[in-house]
Amino acid sequence: MSASGLQGAIDAAVDEVATVLLGKEPEIRLALCCLLARGHLLIEDLPGMGKTTLSHALASVLGLSYNRVQFTSDLLPADILGVAIYQPGDNSFRFHAGPVFTQVLLADEINRSTPRTQSALLEAMAEHQVTVEGETRPLPEPFFVIATQNPLDQSGTYPLPESQLDRFLMRIELGYPDPGAERELLRRGGSGREADVLRQRMGPAELTGVQTAATAVHCSPALLDYLQRLVARTREPGEFAVGLSPRGALALLAAGKTWAVMHGRDHVLPEDLQAVLGPVAAHRLVAADSFGGDGRALVALLQREVDVVPG
Amino acid sequence: MKAAQQIPRNALAWIILCQVLLLAPHGLRVPAWLLLLYLAAFGWRVQLYRNRLPAPTRWLKLVLIGAAMAGIGWSYGSLIGLEPTVALLLAAYALKLVESVSRKDAYVLIFLGFFLLITEFLFSQDLLIVVYASFVAWLLTAALVALHRTGEGFELAPLRVAGVMLAQAFPLMLVLFFLFPRIGPLWNVPIRAHAAQTGMSDFLRPGDVARLTQSTEVAFRARFAGEVPQARDLYWRGLVMSVLEDDTWRSLRFFEAPPAQRRPAPVEAVGAVLDYSVIIEPTQQHWLYALRYAEPQESGVMALADYTLYSPATLESERRYSVRSWPGAAIGLELDTWRRRLETRLPEGENPRALALARQLRAAADDDEAFIARVLALFREQPFRYTLQPPLLGDDPVDDFLFGTRAGFCEHYANAFAVLMRAAGVPARIVAGYQGGEINPMNGTVIVHQFDAHAWNEVWLEGQGWMRVDPTAAVSPARVEFGLETAVQGEGSFLAGSPLSPLRYRAVSWVNTLRLRYDALTYRWQSWVVGFDSERQVELLGKWFGRIDAKRFVAVLLGSFGVVLAAVALALLVRAGPRRDPLLRAWARLRARLVRAGVPVHAGDSPATVLARAQQRYPAAAADLGVLAEEFTALLYRPVGSGDLRRLQQRLRRLRLSSQ
Repeated sequence: MSASGLQGAIDAAVDEVATVLLGKEPEIRLALCCLLARGHLLIEDLPGMGKTTLSHALASVLGLSYNRVQFTSDLLPADILGVAIYQPGDNSFRFHAGPVFTQVLLADEINRSTPRTQSALLEAMAEHQVTVEGETRPLPEPFFVIATQNPLDQSGTYPLPESQLDRFLMRIELGYPDPGAERELLRRGGSGREADVLRQRMGPAELTGVQTAATAVHCSPALLDYLQRLVARTREPGEFAVGLSPRGALALLAAGKTWAVMHGRDHVLPEDLQAVLGPVAAHRLVAADSFGGDGRALVALLQREVDVVPG
Repeated sequence: MKAAQQIPRNALAWIILCQVLLLAPHGLRVPAWLLLLYLAAFGWRVQLYRNRLPAPTRWLKLVLIGAAMAGIGWSYGSLIGLEPTVALLLAAYALKLVESVSRKDAYVLIFLGFFLLITEFLFSQDLLIVVYASFVAWLLTAALVALHRTGEGFELAPLRVAGVMLAQAFPLMLVLFFLFPRIGPLWNVPIRAHAAQTGMSDFLRPGDVARLTQSTEVAFRARFAGEVPQARDLYWRGLVMSVLEDDTWRSLRFFEAPPAQRRPAPVEAVGAVLDYSVIIEPTQQHWLYALRYAEPQESGVMALADYTLYSPATLESERRYSVRSWPGAAIGLELDTWRRRLETRLPEGENPRALALARQLRAAADDDEAFIARVLALFREQPFRYTLQPPLLGDDPVDDFLFGTRAGFCEHYANAFAVLMRAAGVPARIVAGYQGGEINPMNGTVIVHQFDAHAWNEVWLEGQGWMRVDPTAAVSPARVEFGLETAVQGEGSFLAGSPLSPLRYRAVSWVNTLRLRYDALTYRWQSWVVGFDSERQVELLGKWFGRIDAKRFVAVLLGSFGVVLAAVALALLVRAGPRRDPLLRAWARLRARLVRAGVPVHAGDSPATVLARAQQRYPAAAADLGVLAEEFTALLYRPVGSGDLRRLQQRLRRLRLSSQ
């Protein structure tokens, strides 16, 4: 697959999703980048901002099977992974696969369920396999988890622990639509296209194509220097209580490479890192008490203060 | 607190070990409660590490500091002076351990440790202390290394690294030792105000001493240029005591003499010459020891009117001085009337029997010399005995001694002799110093110990000047001939107070060899390292580089140090920056140029962003700037070979920024 062909497919996919999620092209692009980089995606926003629509639409344009699980406080691990049920006919147990056996799993409002259930997703996300009743079963390829969560200051939620947050390559927020997009939404009056009727714009060939291209993208020493300066800055005492782990640094590089491929380049630019820095790093960073801001403010600080080229 | 900021466990173990070793040599000098403070600090620190005890609050810290200062003030009676200051430092060092949380505190602890290490040398510069201090310096460096390691368990690897580092630093240390200018202190404070003055005291009160304490410490070492004289001729003069008041002999103070009598009268230096140098151990006093008649060969050593040597600076550390002596020269041939009166003065109404005896003996003798011989014969013929444990004497000590106890050591005999002489109108005085010494066959030095301390007399005779008379020799010839040990053999009192001194085991040949070898090593250490002062430095460098003026030498040396250090600093500065890379240097220069031209530049801007902004500011140069952006991006971020640095640099030179 040629680079321009790839880029065309990607642009088409973004445009297609944009027809159901109005005015959110940058967020769509980031979400797509996350999936193309083989990472799991966390969407954080208030209810009714289009989180479910986005995830469903992404699965549709990528032509992937899609399951949705609504997380509630009484949801149990078996409800996600599946359960072995006794068969009276042949005196045996048969495994009934749970909703996790799909290519795109939407874990809706993941912070409404108990940590026990949240952690059931852990193995699936990390290893692309689940172990039920002592038997390990592989999940379909590719496998993405798109989780949505409400901001933590709502009552009755269990915030995701940092170890689990770290497994999400990106966390994005959707935010309110701009007035023009909202007007269009209102004009359609809810009678617009549904996410599940979107046309598939990328197939398995394009997915692998992006991933192959991403591994071949050139990262110059100057770029790696910048990346290391960014990471090192988060580990300095002061504003940061928890800095970026080596896994976080790798995630940043992988996302940056995919972002470069999505923009038709064979090399990563500092701008690529800056574009994905917020979604990749904000949920992994913890600000010191004295700083008085959150991960987003820390990312802004990094983008402002770390030298792209030393001098 | 982030884990990365905490003191690693292994570094903490090293630091505590170093603290113990740093405290050890001070252990006997500091009050006992300070040792307990250290134990408490270690305990607290360990419990803190195990989260069993809380960290001290600010108020508790203040209370502890106040208590430590009060305790030291109470123990020493003052906070000023060397011992209290060192004790204060040690107390602060213990408390700092409790307070230490972060890596930064660990640095403070380790560097303070190096400082504390130096304070040991203020008390002793003995070779063993040097070996010990080097060992502790090694461990402190290991602690510093351990602070930079991630290992949690206690490991020995830092020792190896620290050893290699110290070995690498050794040549530099040697160079600095020989070359670094010995600049005198800007001001001089008697820092050891609380130290006990060791060795001789400057007064003599024979009636009061029931037991002469003998110390095995070395008083000084002397090395002769030629043959070493016989032990019986080694009368090391230290103090001359001419004044007898309240049963106490003391020397004449400088300003008590009339101005004309404050300087030594010239002496005709005739006869055999002895050249020797002396390394004296610290005494906290001023007087120096030499054979008569001595002329100092050194600046900073004065000769006093009574022909003794005097150092204006207190002897706070080992001191080396060279002397030339003429044992045969006559001193003080002319006796001025003021001095004659001084040297024959006796307190009124004391020792009536002794005075009567003196007058009777003098009347029977033909001249002064015969009188002296008569008095010495008296000591020899009557049952006088030499002992280190004499009975106490009463109100007329000389009467008691001559007609009662008849037992004593050198001070008693010198006192009695001087009183008898003066009673008969013969000028006489007491000389305090050392007699004899041990010759170390390993290097030919004469080791004079504290137990060689001695007192004898000088008597003035017409035409002969001040003559030495040793009444002790009349009673106990062995004392002068063979030393104290032989003189008190029957008594078993020799070195009774020092059961562990190697001197007591001289009969065991290997102990003795070891002792003498170590002493020879000490002498070498003292003469080469401790005694390497600015004079010897200039002398040595003069040998290497030709004669040079001391001031010019210091100036040249400091200047060249400055040049070398500046060069090193500059090299580090240049290397520290990323500007070695010509591409980065080109970018830094362009960026600075754009900033000067009014283009806002932020840290987070990539070259492309900055140049795009510059294009808006300078539309006329937009094309050039656009190409430059391309080039920089290609060179910085594209695969190797996609840009051309030389072309970029040419473009940069051609770039013209103008607003039109």
